[in-house]
Amino acid sequence: MDELSYVGKSVPRKDGVEKATGRAVYTVDMVLPGMLWGKILRSSYPHARILNIDTSRAERLPGVKTVITGKDTLGIKHGFVETPRYPPDQYPIAMDRVRYIGEEVAAVAAIDEYVAEEALSLIKVDYEELPAVFDPEEAMKPEAPEIHPSHPKVKDPCKNIGGKTETGWGNIEKGFAESYLVREDRFEGQLRTHCYMEPQATLASFDLSEKLNVWTSSQGPFIKRAKLATTLGLPFNNVRVLKAYVGGAYGGKVDLFSHEFCASLLSIKARRPVKIVFTREEVFQASRHGQPILVELKTGVKKDGTLVAQQVKVINNSGAYRGSGVVVIFLCWGFVMLSYRIPNLKYEGYSVYTNNPVRAPQRGHGAPNLRFAVDSQMDMIAEELGIDPVEIRLKNARQKGDILPNGDSVRNCGLVECIEKVAKATQFKERYGKRKAQEEERTRRGIGIGVSSYFSGSLIYPNASAAIVKLNDDGTISLLTGALDIGQGVETILCQIVAEEIGVSIEDIRVVAADTETTPVDIGSWISGGAYVSGNAVKMAASDARRQLFEVAAQELECNPEELIAKNREIFVKGSPGRSISFTRAVAVSIAKCRGNPIMGKGYFRTMKDIPTHPSLATTKGRWSENYAFDAQVAEVEVDMQTGQVRLVKATTAHDCGFPINPLIVEGQIDGQVSMAQGHALWEQVSMEEGKTLTTSFLDYKIPCAKDMVESQYIDVITEKYERETPYRTKEVGEGYVSAMVAAIANAVYDATGVRVKNLPILPEKILMGLKEK
Amino acid sequence: MKKQLIELRVNGEPHELAVEPQRTLLEVLREDLGLTGAKEACGTGECGACTVLMDGKSILSCLTLAIEAQGKKITTIEGLAKNGELHPLQKAFIRHGAIQCGYCTSGMILNAKAILDENPRPSRDEILKGLEGNLCRCTGYNKILEAVMAASIGEE
Repeated sequence: MDELSYVGKSVPRKDGVEKATGRAVYTVDMVLPGMLWGKILRSSYPHARILNIDTSRAERLPGVKTVITGKDTLGIKHGFVETPRYPPDQYPIAMDRVRYIGEEVAAVAAIDEYVAEEALSLIKVDYEELPAVFDPEEAMKPEAPEIHPSHPKVKDPCKNIGGKTETGWGNIEKGFAESYLVREDRFEGQLRTHCYMEPQATLASFDLSEKLNVWTSSQGPFIKRAKLATTLGLPFNNVRVLKAYVGGAYGGKVDLFSHEFCASLLSIKARRPVKIVFTREEVFQASRHGQPILVELKTGVKKDGTLVAQQVKVINNSGAYRGSGVVVIFLCWGFVMLSYRIPNLKYEGYSVYTNNPVRAPQRGHGAPNLRFAVDSQMDMIAEELGIDPVEIRLKNARQKGDILPNGDSVRNCGLVECIEKVAKATQFKERYGKRKAQEEERTRRGIGIGVSSYFSGSLIYPNASAAIVKLNDDGTISLLTGALDIGQGVETILCQIVAEEIGVSIEDIRVVAADTETTPVDIGSWISGGAYVSGNAVKMAASDARRQLFEVAAQELECNPEELIAKNREIFVKGSPGRSISFTRAVAVSIAKCRGNPIMGKGYFRTMKDIPTHPSLATTKGRWSENYAFDAQVAEVEVDMQTGQVRLVKATTAHDCGFPINPLIVEGQIDGQVSMAQGHALWEQVSMEEGKTLTTSFLDYKIPCAKDMVESQYIDVITEKYERETPYRTKEVGEGYVSAMVAAIANAVYDATGVRVKNLPILPEKILMGLKEK
Repeated sequence: MKKQLIELRVNGEPHELAVEPQRTLLEVLREDLGLTGAKEACGTGECGACTVLMDGKSILSCLTLAIEAQGKKITTIEGLAKNGELHPLQKAFIRHGAIQCGYCTSGMILNAKAILDENPRPSRDEILKGLEGNLCRCTGYNKILEAVMAASIGEE
């Protein structure tokens, strides 16, 4: 293999200068001539029938240009998942019923925010209140009010089931009967939220050619276009979603949102650009938070700790509409079965409708909570058996070449090596279990481990990515990709791939990205497929361009294309540095001799090429991914025994991400996930009461600040290679490393204090209560 | 409300503006002067995304009325690079991977500048304490600390 020049290197991010100088334009920064401000009227009832909406006073207010309600829409529902089993269930604006506090009832466009705000107060809505239910287990009971009475139902004896996943293998009863030890525990995840710094924001401009142009803070333009076009009844080519910089997303900006629909419809009606930007309070009260899940876990093991049987029940409180709820209950199955080998499994997941706001994916999409449950219990089992936490994990860890129960191969799997290396680097075995020796100390130290695994791209609309690499006359390059950089650095790694494949510097490449009109389709920055799916599409496009370039050069230099190498926009014959041709000349020759071909490389990539569709969300049958990443993480904590305060001192991550295309970016992803796991495990919680969101600011919702920074150490376990001109198998790095850390922290807290907290977050009072009970 | 005339010196350039007294400095910078590098993420002084320098001190422009800045020297992120040459902190943030989504970056860099202007060789803890009012959800602050440390010892 040739030595790599750009890939595998810590190249600074491509958009660094724009961001460091304040020149990067985010959706919130955009202004268009004649722009109006949009505001949304939201339901103040958790469940009610809409009897009448009177917008006449609002319409008469000077400065108000348009008011819309459900009656102005086509009444087309949408959903994060749209399948025959799970048809769309949400109107973009409520029609005859509201199902949560904050649901969109009407929207106005006015000359400024103040007028728009005042107009909202002039809209009169008559409601008839209906009984509401907020707790998912209450909502499943026969006497619970029905939230979607007329909607096609998921067949189940329980009420309000938005989705159900049921699967298993082996013989669960026999497995438990043969187990030496069986444990049953219940773990509760809290309602968390993303805290992207840029609030939800959309600017829509319906132009004179009847084309709708939309800038929106999102995780990929193609899914937005599809759903906007469908709900607005417009052809896809009349809806253009364009790139703007995105100020963070973490799962909270995927799917179509009502404010995007409202800005668009207001612009269509008003024939002027309309911008909607959420206040932070509105983000907390009305935008989608993560999926809070309950896990009931029954596990049987042999005397040596080997897993025999596992029975898992997951209940998700999806809120008033499905959102991603039916996906998270599928994924939780995956996050159970990926990391450890389980001979007998019974899994059931329920996504339950309640009168709460709708939920979205949040980084890890179920994995952090699920792994918290599994790996907390794994430590409890290890303690009962007198085995150390590292050994019990090594005994059960997924191995290289394993075939998963759904038929996927994990191919390369560095999990065992991750566990071994993270244990060694942290001297885990020497430092674990020292509670007794610290009994007199006010501040006690503890150490804990967790493992997790994550998929790298799956099949969900738009399923695939494509790319175009254009050579310019001077040999510089334009890369056209639909990928959207949301901070994770996808534009940078795509440039590294192009630079490596073609032999130009990163500076020679300009990226045109994330525009549904001018760039090819892209899978989006929300399915952990950026580096793998979009990366391979770009790799193919770049090597296609290089092939064309070399064919021309070979003719000119009178040699075979295989004898050529490229560097610094110059093509050389290997071993004869004197025989060369510049890219500029090669492009000119191509245009002259190849009927005008200016050299454009085309590439496309889809995972699991022979598999028609995504796996069944109901039964888990079918392929899920062809590329799984693994990691083991160790947390070191200090606990103040008088106050119950926990400090996460150090996090060590050993990870198999395949091949790190940009180690600096990979480190940044790990740091960010460690920080998010810290908040998840220790503080973060959105409080709700009867469907009302009580947490409305960063003062109520503490995310880690600079003073909470955790020392972060990384250990790469590299299992894949990068070779030119062939597809590569790198793995995801953006979601898996938030997942093992939550359990690692919980296990470390137990190691320090002897208190096992099974409901997150691990607040000081829970530790103090636990100490008191002991 | 009746507009008031104010003079602001922003990034070395004088501006005479008629502003309504209730408008914040952040609004005037972004909407009247087109300096959108300062961001709003909360509007209530909890996140630091709107940080700018006023007479060299870091302030939250979302909590500062524009009329309070009358006659003051304001530095925004757009004014940090000189003659096309990035400030050492800007270079360090790029090189050390301290930027991901970039939304907090302007405020973070300006606050870091205020810290270094007052204390050119701060300790690790002094930097973290100084930056605790600037929230970042992407980086975990590790690379930000590295970048500020590097800039403080003259590396970029």
